[in-house]
Amino acid sequence: MEATSNSKQSKTPQLNPEGLRSAETVTLWKTAWRRLFRRKSAMFGLGILVFLLLVAIFAPVIAPYDPYQVLIGIEPVRMRQAPCIHLLGCPKDQPQHLMGIDGNVRDQFSRLIFGARLSLMVGLTTVSFAIVVGTIFGSLAGYLGGNVDNVIMRIMDVLLAFPTLLLAIAIVTILGPGLINALIAISIVSIPAYARVARASVLSVREMEFVEASRSLGGSTLYILFGRILPNALTPLIVQGTLGIATAILDAAALSFLGLGAQPPTPEWGTMLGAERNQVFTAPHLVFYPGLAIMITVLAFNLLGDGLRDALDPRLAARGAE
Amino acid sequence: MNRKSLSNLVGLLVLLSLVLGACAPQPAATQVAQPTEAPAQPTQAPAQPTEAPAQPTTPPAAAFEPLSLSAPDCDYGGLVKSIEALDEYTVRFTMCEPDPAFLSKIAFSSFAIQPREWLEQNGGGGEGSPLLERPIGTGPYVVKEWKRGDELVFEAFADYWGDDKAKTPTLVFRWSSEAAQRLLELQSGSIDAMDNPGPDDFDTINADASLQLINRPALNIFYVGMTNTYPPFDNEMVRQAIAMAIDRQRIVDNFYPEGSEVATHFSPCAIPNGCVGEEWYEFDPVKAKEMLAEAGYPDGFETELAYRDVVRGYLPQPGVVAQDIQAQLKENLNITIRINVMESGSFLDASDSGLLQGLHLLGWGADYPDQTNFLDYHFGGGSSKQFGDKFADLVDALKKAAALAGDELRKPFYETANNLIKKHVPMIPVAHGGSATAYKATVEGAHSSPLGNENFSVMSVPGQNTFVWMQNAEPISLYCADETDGESLRGCEQVTESLYRYEIGGTAVEPNLAEVCEANEDLTVWTCTLRKGVMFHDGSMLDANDVVFSLIIQWDQASPFHKGNTGAFSYWSGLWGAFLNATE
Amino acid sequence: MTTYILRRILSSIPVLIGILFVTFALGRLIPGDPCRAILGEKATEVVCNEFIRRHGLDKPIPVQFSIYVGEIMRGDLGTSLKYGKPVTDLIVERLPTTLELSLAAMTFSVLIGIPLGVISAVKHNSLVDVGTMVLANIGVSMPVFWLGLMLAYVFALLLKGTPLQLPPSGRLSPGLSVPPFYEVWGWQLAAEGMGFKLLQFISRLNTINSVLTWRWDIFSDAVKHLILPAMAVGTIPLAIIARMTRSSMLDVLGQDYVRTARAKGLPRLEVILKHALRNALLPLVTIIGLSLGSFLGGAVLTETIFGLSGVGRVLYDAITSRDYGVVQSFTIVIAVFFVILNLLVDISYIYLDPRVRLE
Repeated sequence: MEATSNSKQSKTPQLNPEGLRSAETVTLWKTAWRRLFRRKSAMFGLGILVFLLLVAIFAPVIAPYDPYQVLIGIEPVRMRQAPCIHLLGCPKDQPQHLMGIDGNVRDQFSRLIFGARLSLMVGLTTVSFAIVVGTIFGSLAGYLGGNVDNVIMRIMDVLLAFPTLLLAIAIVTILGPGLINALIAISIVSIPAYARVARASVLSVREMEFVEASRSLGGSTLYILFGRILPNALTPLIVQGTLGIATAILDAAALSFLGLGAQPPTPEWGTMLGAERNQVFTAPHLVFYPGLAIMITVLAFNLLGDGLRDALDPRLAARGAE
Repeated sequence: MNRKSLSNLVGLLVLLSLVLGACAPQPAATQVAQPTEAPAQPTQAPAQPTEAPAQPTTPPAAAFEPLSLSAPDCDYGGLVKSIEALDEYTVRFTMCEPDPAFLSKIAFSSFAIQPREWLEQNGGGGEGSPLLERPIGTGPYVVKEWKRGDELVFEAFADYWGDDKAKTPTLVFRWSSEAAQRLLELQSGSIDAMDNPGPDDFDTINADASLQLINRPALNIFYVGMTNTYPPFDNEMVRQAIAMAIDRQRIVDNFYPEGSEVATHFSPCAIPNGCVGEEWYEFDPVKAKEMLAEAGYPDGFETELAYRDVVRGYLPQPGVVAQDIQAQLKENLNITIRINVMESGSFLDASDSGLLQGLHLLGWGADYPDQTNFLDYHFGGGSSKQFGDKFADLVDALKKAAALAGDELRKPFYETANNLIKKHVPMIPVAHGGSATAYKATVEGAHSSPLGNENFSVMSVPGQNTFVWMQNAEPISLYCADETDGESLRGCEQVTESLYRYEIGGTAVEPNLAEVCEANEDLTVWTCTLRKGVMFHDGSMLDANDVVFSLIIQWDQASPFHKGNTGAFSYWSGLWGAFLNATE
Repeated sequence: MTTYILRRILSSIPVLIGILFVTFALGRLIPGDPCRAILGEKATEVVCNEFIRRHGLDKPIPVQFSIYVGEIMRGDLGTSLKYGKPVTDLIVERLPTTLELSLAAMTFSVLIGIPLGVISAVKHNSLVDVGTMVLANIGVSMPVFWLGLMLAYVFALLLKGTPLQLPPSGRLSPGLSVPPFYEVWGWQLAAEGMGFKLLQFISRLNTINSVLTWRWDIFSDAVKHLILPAMAVGTIPLAIIARMTRSSMLDVLGQDYVRTARAKGLPRLEVILKHALRNALLPLVTIIGLSLGSFLGGAVLTETIFGLSGVGRVLYDAITSRDYGVVQSFTIVIAVFFVILNLLVDISYIYLDPRVRLE
């Protein structure tokens, strides 16, 4: 874990014992950014994410219909009608539906657009929650060591012993189906990964001089842990978190697919796909597009996560630049 | 160091606790094996108690010792007073109350007849009993092999008693929970028939010349319930107004598969006397608005709409339908509705106890095709408080109808009952949800049964020795006295038979193992004459004791053979009221 | 070394205890009434009371827990409330499906993933490399259930009538009967005991059983049925394996000994396969071992889509129908399998990689 010496302390310089460290970290972040920018795939991922973010923010503007609007009696459309795109030769006198009509006679394209909000929200909230909780446990374990470490990490081991999706299914069944409960379940099952990363980082930083220094200056345990050590352990957490968002989105979609996550009529991609999975042979557009949307979002986070890892890890970066 | 010693300590503690755990109680297993100590048969059987299998294969020529079981009185809560074998081919059922639906009920597949000796030998079920996987019956097919998880294979029974033996030598059941999967298998030709195509696949199948779609008449009802003990639903005019303000056609057109119908009455027309009497209100938002105003709510009101998010044949898309009703009542009557999705169990409990203060969505699927199963269950004297207080005139009409045998005799009373339901509006019947089966076009004898009991012995594909049917799920077990799901029952129905049966593709009953069952004047005593020369799959011959034994081990909870699969025997208690010697 | 392994095993004991506890808690925390979930919603009060009593579900929770722990300790995995048979029987019936699927998926991902990774590394920055990495990235991002549906759509419907048509569900074509190999071989066996269950288990692995009984028609039918689900489950591991192989090959190819070997004039292929690949495979062992576990998670979704009733599907059904016995025992078996797998991976790492030093 040599990669942990860089930190994000430039914003709070008074925390740094030596000015030199501060300057060093600034350059490290700069070079990291430069490396990230050089990686085409990471930039591509970032680009998709910015695009998705814009779509999510401006969903009401982009979407031609209200995602909940049932078009019965409003437009001459059939349930699960195939896409009608004017540019591709669909008669102009018919209303345009880029991705067709879903099983409840709603505009699929508008629902997909609004779905971007949910998927991004799902990814970010679950991972933030998991990072916060995981980091608290992991760093306490790493810093305090001994029995605390032992107990916390054994609990994490127990959680890790179950396939994540199965554990998430069990938790959602206990809490009851629903988007919020699915988020909680996914957060819980992803805590151990962050706890492990945080613990490892804390262990590697714990004995460094600047920590020793603030300890000898009489800093409290909490201060040392959260003010001095953790900021130095952020890098691996960021990397793990970015990749974790991808997994979280996939898991949430899987839960929704099984009917345990977001409930209809919420325009969640996994739910949309799950609701129409029986129509895959008769109305493939209802299964294809939501799946594609999930894939693209997950791909973006994966690309960015990989890029970040390479950029922030000097050892890997050296090889990548080869 | 620290860590090591701690984990050692923990390990030790744990070992200790495990040892303790292992030594401690182990009752669960033994309990499953034996429900209760051998019963002291308080309800003694006149001629001979249930145990006495001295001669494993009763020679037909030997003196026939008739078997019987009676309840001491009718206070135990059930409908059955006694079941007795009178002679080798006669069985008499004495009921506690007149039962006009007796034949419909006795035809049900849970009450199939199996050889007495064989039931005894196999302990009436329980863990790993052949009873559950390889039933012996009198049906046209025998179970050949059940590859759990994969498929269930039947072969034709050469000595079947009927004139028509199975047309195809091998019958295979497969299953997939996904409608798309089933259709794909049918299209690719690896199966010959499938259950329940998805609503959207109906057009695909109809358009495909190599396939045929057969609609299954709906034997269910989806309704919007109201509890008349809470205002404003205590006002009959409010209920009538709501009844007129819901465009039921729109709901069926948009959210139900082909073959579904708007309900004209609470019970479907396929039930004898199901749709006699006046048809339901026309959709009339203007008149509805006037009536609501007259009732004192010109500006509408606020209420709740409760439902459970469970897909059923009568309600294939609960969420969407709830939202549509919400939108319609807002638009037509300015009633503001909060939707309340409840957990299935608590929803059923709340509706049963009449605790739902607003509207609720629920439905009913037929157990047996008789009006008593629909009307009496919901509106009769013994019904729950689901719709609030009962309507005395309705209860009375139903009681009169239930005391008569014969559809024609009962008809005027059901007309009255249906008209009263329309007048009082305890609930609003919305739809009978349809479904279908699909077959290769080459299948001969293809049919859909409203009860879901398709009979494959009459089906065949020219030039094919194997017929493959794909349904939604694997049967749970093939001892259907103790199963309730349609997938298991359909499996049993190929192998075992009851005294009566439902006509192929219909609901009318016809004699099967019984040549006839006749009732006395007041419908309390039914005497059945059995068919002679019926052979079971194990080579033994059907006699009255087989009939009595097959039924009393379900009825008598204290019988050592009352085991089954889960031990619940739900259909017995559901259709005949209660068990004898119930433990609680 | 031995002390390390012993310590490692000892430290899994608390984890196993935790698993026992968590599985029991999971089972009991699931709300809802097991009686009506299993016997149907029309079950009466009387029937339900009897059901609850008979299965000991009315006893205090600590008592139920001790009974449960006691049974597990005796190797008794309990009884399924729904199927009314021992859970071990259910495992013998259902695990082969999942195992066969997992192994097929692993074969698929290893056989394609490793060569792809090697080629990408050797032809670093070439079109092949970029293409592989793009595909690998897409591969890890695909929802398993979506991929499964799409595969079924393409291979079963679009390619219908071509030689590439593949069956989208089931394990064998309908009616194909496979007698267990021990029956074909004429073994006379008592149908009980662990030994017999093991034989039964093996005979339910269709591919192995058909080879043992020399039925190549069944073998090819079974393989055909395995292809689509194996592709669905195997794609993510394939992408991961390809990426890992590539990066560790790149690592190794840059090292001195490989350069030396090449400088000595050894054939290129020999250097790649003999010197480089062998060393690059080490980290892959971990990945492959761990992804075998993750196949089980994917199995729930894949088995749903391809109509297979394996462990994942049964467990999912058991959770929804509150079949406590099955939920507990299946999760325990899976979790213990996980723990053992982790242990093996850790230990194999020590043996395989001398660079790993133990403090």
